[in-house]
Amino acid sequence: MLRSAEKKRKTLKIRRVIMRFQRTVPAVILWVAPIAAVLTVLLSVSIGAKSIPAGTVWEAVFSFNPENVDHQIIVASRLPRAVGALLIGAFLAVSGALMQGMTRNYLASPSIMGVSDGSVFLVTMFMVFAPSNGSISLIAVSMIGSALGAGLVFGLASLIPNGLSPVRLAILGTIIGTFLSGVSAAVSSYFQISQGLAFWYNARLHTINPELIKLSIPFAVVGLALAIILSKSITVLSLGDEVSAGLGAKTGLVKALAILAVVILTGVSVALAGKIAFIGLIIPHIARFLSGVDYRWSIPVSGALGALFLALCDILSRFLNYPFETPIGVVTALFGVPFFLYLIKKKGGGKHG
Amino acid sequence: MDKRVASSIARAWIVAAVTIAVMLIGVYLSLTSGMFDISVLDVFRTLFNPGQVHEHDMVVFRFRLPRIVLAVLVGAALGIAGVVIQGVTRNGLADPGILGINAGAGMSVVLFMLLVQGSIKLTGWAGVMLRPMFGLIGGLLATILIYLFARERGKLDPQRLILVGIAIASGFGSITLYLSLKMNPNDFEMATVWLAGSIYSANWKFVVAMLPWLIMIPPILWLKARSLDVLQLGEEMAGGVGVATEREKKILLACTIGLVSASVAVSGSVGFVGLIAPHMARRLVGHSHRYILPISGLIGAAMVVLADYIGKTIFAPAELAVGVVISIIGVPYFVYLLLRAKR
Repeated sequence: MLRSAEKKRKTLKIRRVIMRFQRTVPAVILWVAPIAAVLTVLLSVSIGAKSIPAGTVWEAVFSFNPENVDHQIIVASRLPRAVGALLIGAFLAVSGALMQGMTRNYLASPSIMGVSDGSVFLVTMFMVFAPSNGSISLIAVSMIGSALGAGLVFGLASLIPNGLSPVRLAILGTIIGTFLSGVSAAVSSYFQISQGLAFWYNARLHTINPELIKLSIPFAVVGLALAIILSKSITVLSLGDEVSAGLGAKTGLVKALAILAVVILTGVSVALAGKIAFIGLIIPHIARFLSGVDYRWSIPVSGALGALFLALCDILSRFLNYPFETPIGVVTALFGVPFFLYLIKKKGGGKHG
Repeated sequence: MDKRVASSIARAWIVAAVTIAVMLIGVYLSLTSGMFDISVLDVFRTLFNPGQVHEHDMVVFRFRLPRIVLAVLVGAALGIAGVVIQGVTRNGLADPGILGINAGAGMSVVLFMLLVQGSIKLTGWAGVMLRPMFGLIGGLLATILIYLFARERGKLDPQRLILVGIAIASGFGSITLYLSLKMNPNDFEMATVWLAGSIYSANWKFVVAMLPWLIMIPPILWLKARSLDVLQLGEEMAGGVGVATEREKKILLACTIGLVSASVAVSGSVGFVGLIAPHMARRLVGHSHRYILPISGLIGAAMVVLADYIGKTIFAPAELAVGVVISIIGVPYFVYLLLRAKR
């Protein structure tokens, strides 16, 4: 008897420590994140096939000299790459967090749910049928494509009995993804742009286009702002449809806006760098572990962690097969697959998580 | 009772005859058309009396025939493997591709190509014959991983099985990508074409590499058809009837991995055949695995032959990998299956 009481007190104590931890940690993360981001960018810019000292990086940014080769490398290639990795990581992680909260499905994420495949599919079509259009329409097409992918997967899922359960949704997403990429492969081999397409499919942070980053910023601001504004309602939604309706939430409106945010953020990231898997799946889980189920905290924390994670993966990708670049998807899978397996082992497949 | 058995046997024969007819139409189309059109008469003349016209000999025996034979073998292997996997896991959505067995076998074949690069000629006899062996290792590895992660209290949870499969397939996929980037450009090209699920580089060596597996394994599975039937009743029932379920399952799965690895080794990852063929077979001949196994094999063979024909003609002169054709046709069917499934 005594022992069990002791045990109970201990677990309560641990829980209280975790609670306090979860209250302070997110604030700490959000404060530290900008500094960490700057450091990561510095690290990412200075190491690579050609090492560049930090001082030169500083000069390149603040007193740019067009004659200096190092400065050119930094401004034209290294800096966009580092900043791109940060942005895309944040976008994907926030999309994942939104999707997981909204669908109450612990496996929901842009890459598993066919959102990125839809985007790649439409970009292929676009490259075939209207090849000469500018970058801004590329971003738009990519967004419409992610809306298409999400629409297909969720539309079919809602037609299927119990279709929104983690497993069914994951299967549907994977299958629709295979289908869309199959059609893209067929179309591209017919029009002989396979190489251009392969370029799209494979994540390609190292050839990221600085112009495209600049163009994507307004979209990203809208998407992220939407996510932050919605975060409180997402917390309510994550309690379940009945509960949230009972609390007076406008479920339909919130869902529609959240999907809009997901489409914008995923569309932009695919347009920037192709398909990068697993960020949207694993980061929101880690964020929820650190900051609890309140999405007002866990969405921004997801963003911060996602940004840092992808930037670090990008640095790692230069060293796995030095001096050649390893596709970033391989690096994210390195962390993502074990985590995915762990989630399945822990949570099972049938129920909502 | 006897009458019903007799009628279901008759039904199975009819279905088999129709499937073979469909397959033969595919074979006929594939043999006669292509870059170089040959009339039926010439094809027959070349087949039965070779050595008359040099070009005909070359087109038929060196290019078209091995490819068709390989399509038949790969389709049959995948069709049969699909039946066993769906039977053992008692999950109608299981398929060697979805479960990651293809990806596992693919990874180890790429590893093999990378390791022997330079020391053995990959397109030579030793290279081709060794491929399925290596594929087997990867396939086994994938299956063991799936088993480890999808088991809960000694039972294989069908839902979890598929999720684990998806995870494992993407893991092996990225390892494959990593390995293939380390290859020299020539082998890399070959590896990517092969991985996409294509048989257009087929030659007789591949057929010979594939043949032993297809001669050895299906008879074993056919003898085990009754165990498969009993397994459908559920673990407890099967145990009660006197089937050592775990042992039977292991034997059945090992045989399947053999079939899948052999076909992955020669043709890369061709998905959905193992999913669709068993479903069609079950709808056509009922629930006895004695009939489902061979019929599913035939349907698989017909599917791959036709898909290969479509792939090589629809965008000619560009060729579409069989795997791509089948996934475009297969996905709507799969979605239809999901929509129909009531749970």
